[in-house]
Amino acid sequence: MTALTTFFWGWLLAALLLGFGMGWIAVVHRAKGVPRLWMRWLAVLAVALVAASFAHIVPGRFGYWLDLLLVMFALYLVGCAIGSWLRDWVVSRGKPAS
Amino acid sequence: MHGLFKWSSKWWPGVIPLVVFWGIAAWTSTTAVEGELAARANAALKDSVLDKRRISVDGRDVTFAANAFSEEGRVSAVASVEAVPGVRLVNDDTRLVPEAKPFVWSAERDVVRVTLGGSAPLPSSKGKLMEAAKASLGGVEVVDQMGLARGAPPRFDAVALLLLDQISKLKDGKITLTDGKINLSGMARDLGGREAVVAALKNLPEGYSVAANDIKAPPYIFQAYKDPVALTLTLTGYVPDNNAHAALVAAAGRKFFSEKVVDNLKASVGAPSGFAAAVVPALGALSRLSTGTLVVSDREVKLSGDALYDAAAGQIRDGLGKDFPQGWQYKAEISVKPAAAPVDATVCQQLFAETLTKGRIRFESAKADIVPDSAGLLDRLVETAMRCPTTNIEITGHTDSDGDEAANQALSEKRAQAVMDYLVRAGLPASRFTPIGYGSTQPVAANDGEDGKAQNRRIEFVVKQ
Repeated sequence: MTALTTFFWGWLLAALLLGFGMGWIAVVHRAKGVPRLWMRWLAVLAVALVAASFAHIVPGRFGYWLDLLLVMFALYLVGCAIGSWLRDWVVSRGKPAS
Repeated sequence: MHGLFKWSSKWWPGVIPLVVFWGIAAWTSTTAVEGELAARANAALKDSVLDKRRISVDGRDVTFAANAFSEEGRVSAVASVEAVPGVRLVNDDTRLVPEAKPFVWSAERDVVRVTLGGSAPLPSSKGKLMEAAKASLGGVEVVDQMGLARGAPPRFDAVALLLLDQISKLKDGKITLTDGKINLSGMARDLGGREAVVAALKNLPEGYSVAANDIKAPPYIFQAYKDPVALTLTLTGYVPDNNAHAALVAAAGRKFFSEKVVDNLKASVGAPSGFAAAVVPALGALSRLSTGTLVVSDREVKLSGDALYDAAAGQIRDGLGKDFPQGWQYKAEISVKPAAAPVDATVCQQLFAETLTKGRIRFESAKADIVPDSAGLLDRLVETAMRCPTTNIEITGHTDSDGDEAANQALSEKRAQAVMDYLVRAGLPASRFTPIGYGSTQPVAANDGEDGKAQNRRIEFVVKQ
């Protein structure tokens, strides 16, 4: 995939920024989180998709699209993690130490 | 870390736009990625020798179909495609070029084009052969119907090039190479073409041989036309070489005592064996005709024309073929010239004298055997004798002064007798002729030089009432 980033690097960057934005919001967001059980199943799904990607079992274009999805999703997660961590750092710095 | 886990449960809303982004990214990049990968795969195979190469890309998966010329070539070509950056999977549809058994290659020439067919071992040799064919054949159209196959005998290219060189020597025909065996058929362009092809094929590399050579050469033609009005003998066509040319023209000069020899002969290779041995006697037969045409085509001799009298026609019809070398055929279409008007004794004498001034009856040295070259002259004398049937004729023999007088006397008598015998064999009554020998007693020139002696060695006809 790395040899082909010229064709979609903009979208990867967009996924990263989107993740960053989502991570930034998530820290102070009051919405209900995904239940734990769901999280687990989603994690299992993600692992299964990654395994499918590495095993090259999805053929042709679907295989390429799967790889693209996983790369974008990974960057989204990275963006989320950075965003949340940064926000948390900013929020906790603004609070007086108690 | 615990915080990150807590926050992550709230990251899901971003997944919705992410999926939209993903959709757009997939929509816009797929074709471009596929195009790029196809270009990279083709570039990677630039130096691989393959036939029927086909590359199709589906996502990042490359389907690679091709015919390779060796197992190593096939494996390395697949490896090169697998090594292209960005390629995920290679669907390997490669195979080896089929092996031809027997390995056949052919070059066929017709009036307008040369068609190369059969199999070539590599695309490069195919290209080389096409180029060589175009170069050696000038403007002739070259059609490529060659396929590719494994199993060519070693040094195929060199042999095929050599054979292409031979096809340029043919007017039409086909050369087929089957494994190491070469078959040739057709018609050579020039007279010596067949020989040239045979000579060139002596250079075949080891392992190759000529199985059949059925190339025919255009007929080797020699023609002679005796024109009684213009008094010419026209020679056209071919002779084997300059020596044979000179010998033939000299023989014609001896045999045709009153005709001028018009020599349009050309020297060329490709003459059938025994050419001179057949053509010289055939010219002798032509010299006996009043008018006639001699056509020698390869080993077939065709003589047509008018003999001066019946017996001559029979002799020419039956006699000539016997002298020919083996394998030669003789066809005669001899008719007899209508008898000329009778003349009286004076005119008859005049005609004899005229004829004998133009040519002399020749004998073997010191013998009474008439040489064959004199047959034309003798036939002319027979014809003259037939025109004055009521006359009696003295045939007188003369010699030069060399040697013993008694021997000369005897020789002159025998020679006169030999001439008379010829006339009798021609159908004239023996009672009309009297052979007389004068030895060297009646010279017409001084006997002190070769010229004078030659003039004195003679036969004369004296017409009596």
